[in-house]
Amino acid sequence: MSWLKSFRRRLGILLRHEEVERAMDAEMCHHLECEIAERVARGVAPKEARRTALRDFGGVERFKEEGRDARGVRALEDVILDVRQGLRSLRRAPALTVATVLTLALGVAASTAIFGMAYGVLFRTLPYRDPDRLVVLWEHNLTRGRDRNVVAVANFEAWRDRSRAFRGMAALVPASVTIVEGREPERVAGAEVSPGYFGLLGVAPALGRDLTADADEVVLSDGFWKRHFGGDPAAVGKAISMRGGSFTVVGVMPQGFDPPRFGWLGEQALWLPFRATEENRAWGRFLLVVARLESGASLEDARSRMARLGRELARESPSNEGWSVSVVGLAEQITADARDSLLVLLGAVGLLLVMAATNAALLTLASLQRSTGDRALRLALGATRRRIVQQVLTQSALLGLLGAVVGMAAAVWGVGLLVPLLPSDVPRAASIRVDGPVLLFGTCAAAAAMLIAGAVAALGSLKATPFTVLREGAAGRVARGPGGGLIVAAEVGLAVVLTVLAGLTLRSYAALRAVDLGFGTEGVVAARLSLSPDYGTPERERAFFGAVLERLAGTVGVRSVGLVSTRPFGGLDTATGVSNPDRNEAKASDRVVADVRFADAGFFRTLRIPVVAGEPFADPEPTSGRPRVLINETMAALLWPGESPLGRPVRINLFDGTLAEVRGVVRDVRLLDARTPPRSTAYLALSRFPTSSLDVVVGGDASPAAIVGSLRAAVATLDPALPLYRVAALRGLVEESLARDRFTTLLLSTFSVVALLLACVGIAGVFLADVARRRREIGIRRALGARTSAIVLLVLRRALVLAGVGVVAGLVVAVLVSRLLGSILFGVEPADPVSFLGVTAILLGVSAAAALIPGLTASRVSPLVALRGE
Amino acid sequence: MTEPRAELLQGTLDILVLKTLASGPLHGWGISKRIQQVSRELLTVNQGSLYPALYRLEDRGFVAGEEGHSDEGRRIKLYRLTPGGRRELAREIESWERFATGMRYVLGTG
Repeated sequence: MSWLKSFRRRLGILLRHEEVERAMDAEMCHHLECEIAERVARGVAPKEARRTALRDFGGVERFKEEGRDARGVRALEDVILDVRQGLRSLRRAPALTVATVLTLALGVAASTAIFGMAYGVLFRTLPYRDPDRLVVLWEHNLTRGRDRNVVAVANFEAWRDRSRAFRGMAALVPASVTIVEGREPERVAGAEVSPGYFGLLGVAPALGRDLTADADEVVLSDGFWKRHFGGDPAAVGKAISMRGGSFTVVGVMPQGFDPPRFGWLGEQALWLPFRATEENRAWGRFLLVVARLESGASLEDARSRMARLGRELARESPSNEGWSVSVVGLAEQITADARDSLLVLLGAVGLLLVMAATNAALLTLASLQRSTGDRALRLALGATRRRIVQQVLTQSALLGLLGAVVGMAAAVWGVGLLVPLLPSDVPRAASIRVDGPVLLFGTCAAAAAMLIAGAVAALGSLKATPFTVLREGAAGRVARGPGGGLIVAAEVGLAVVLTVLAGLTLRSYAALRAVDLGFGTEGVVAARLSLSPDYGTPERERAFFGAVLERLAGTVGVRSVGLVSTRPFGGLDTATGVSNPDRNEAKASDRVVADVRFADAGFFRTLRIPVVAGEPFADPEPTSGRPRVLINETMAALLWPGESPLGRPVRINLFDGTLAEVRGVVRDVRLLDARTPPRSTAYLALSRFPTSSLDVVVGGDASPAAIVGSLRAAVATLDPALPLYRVAALRGLVEESLARDRFTTLLLSTFSVVALLLACVGIAGVFLADVARRRREIGIRRALGARTSAIVLLVLRRALVLAGVGVVAGLVVAVLVSRLLGSILFGVEPADPVSFLGVTAILLGVSAAAALIPGLTASRVSPLVALRGE
Repeated sequence: MTEPRAELLQGTLDILVLKTLASGPLHGWGISKRIQQVSRELLTVNQGSLYPALYRLEDRGFVAGEEGHSDEGRRIKLYRLTPGGRRELAREIESWERFATGMRYVLGTG
């Protein structure tokens, strides 16, 4: 029972804290008074009695602390005391408090938001059953060292039937279909998947069932089902006409089902059955393959087994000569492209967090400097150093707490702001959200920032000695640099690293923008048309496209029109081996691989791709005789080095080997994106090789919207059931392809600007405090005739020395760090001298500008200060 | 202040305070003076240890603080021995006696 009583009393002491403290004070006062009275009674002079009594009594503060100790509530009481005192001193300097909290909040918000993104994209588990067991299989082209090549149908079948490393395996290929439900025909993107695909992922349809092997069936995404059937469960069993036939809806996938996207898989709104046929077995390599590891089998097991099987297959078929198999974890495959840039962003934001923390430390130090006298007095009165440090830490913990709360609130908002900015090709954007793990990270980030700030501030506070007050009051200090000088240098260093990263990505982005794509994008619009199987013959298809072009060519504002199998920046298309039949090929695998595009004469005119040698396509190309081909400069140089290719035959490994005659050489064009250098390209005439799916390209002075309008009208009159899709201005396509670089560059530049601002605040803050402390010294200089400029220079010089130290250290770190950017940069070396020199100049300039504020403050110090005492 | 004074042994302050309070409530300064007088100036109590000792004893419930008035009529804190404190005093005296006897045997002065 006694512990309960004493607990209650302790609680009482805590609750009645002020009262108890007052009582303690009163008691000590009374004691002193009695002591003095007694000494006076003994005949000591009152003044002397008071002095000796005080001396004999000793340090009041320490007795009070020991008194608190004796009550057994010391630790808790101290915390409460410190929190109260901390809050009081934070309230006393609201500007400083707000600045510190905002600085911390900025760091916490930025790092939490970026972590939230990176976590969602890279680290969150995939929404499938046992996603760690899912892998992607690729063919590995050993001669070219390309380990992620799409897969031939026959090889998929051999892997599925002969490998025992996998519990299941499925093939899929992107597919889009035209759906004519209602008035507007629509082109819908989806995928053909082999039977058992959804079972392999471990996601069952929410409604209905999975696809079966041999029926015209379709499974819909939740979004498509809601859009087209209004979420009616009776949709299952209904028929949708597409591909010239009728497909029965057998299932609807659950809401939020996020199908794996890798390779050339885009968004998917429906899934159709993929069937291997004699026809598609002859198509070459085009499949994507997903598999689930057999229980107990590791990724390494699967790799070695597949390597063995790959060797067997290479022996069995000449088309597999020089090919093996690679096995990649699904998660790694999906996030592969985004990983590098997200990790760089994560690292950069980490640096920003450290900067924010050190800045908070500087600001805390500044606020502590104001109360140096107060602390020195407390030390003189017998308070222990531990107590002082504890109090400083409490104050920075309070600031950290405030910063964390504000920062995390801002992070939630920031993630909402960033996600729409994300390039559309970033995988798994749907899984970006702020939840437990992300908030935990934010908390840890805030705690780490707080610890740094607290530790630095606490170390600084230890400098106070009981004599500090006396000394400063008496003579003023002359020697010793400003407090926090090293921190300022460190901050400048961090800012250098961040600015170098930003500078490199900016230069890389500029280089990407400046790349000569080889074609003109101005005023060019592209749209895709896929004719239904109803057209039947190539002649009817050709006639239709001819009629569309004719109608468009007559439109006001349209300069030229053309057709191509796939527009530049429109994704991958056919690529195959090409060779010079006049030369003996050493090995099949040595053949040059060329992109093949089917185009008409109008395509080159519209995209302003010049013919550098020979003739352009005739309009129209003859439909008989040996087919003629236009090749690009790269292919001409590879197949006919030092010779003219004009009039020469070239073998193209297409349609069982096509022998074509080189009619002309056109300029190199970047077909895929701005980064990928042009590779060999062969353009075959559309009139010889008709296709039912084509991109129409239209160039003109009319606005893109007007051009698209005329195109729609032309198509609608000729075939009302034909949808126009992938409608885009070429300019926009190019912009979109740069979206990821732009995103990274934008974020890194923002970080760098923030870092520069933080460094400015740090420098200005530290030197303002320094000037305030050295007012007397400056006053004396002024009194001795120093000019204003000399005083400003005095401060500037000190600031620049510190900044210089920081810049040098930062550059060294930046050289090491910038190598990590290697895979992101384009056209810029990681050790780019322009970036490094530029950043050095920027940092020194910014530091000087920041030091100008304290410099000017110093120059306004009156010489009278020297004459007046304190 | 030239006459020799005995250093207080560790842990003896509590028993001195309790014994002093056994004859009636006193305030802090009064306690230190009474100890000084009764010990014929041989023992002095350092204020720095007196108050922590008082708070400690209060915390354990051996003494209780109550409101009182000084000679000038000011409100001051008086310390009073509680029944538990009286028992504690008895225990402490007994153990002190044993300790002192032991010391005398060892030093050969008994």
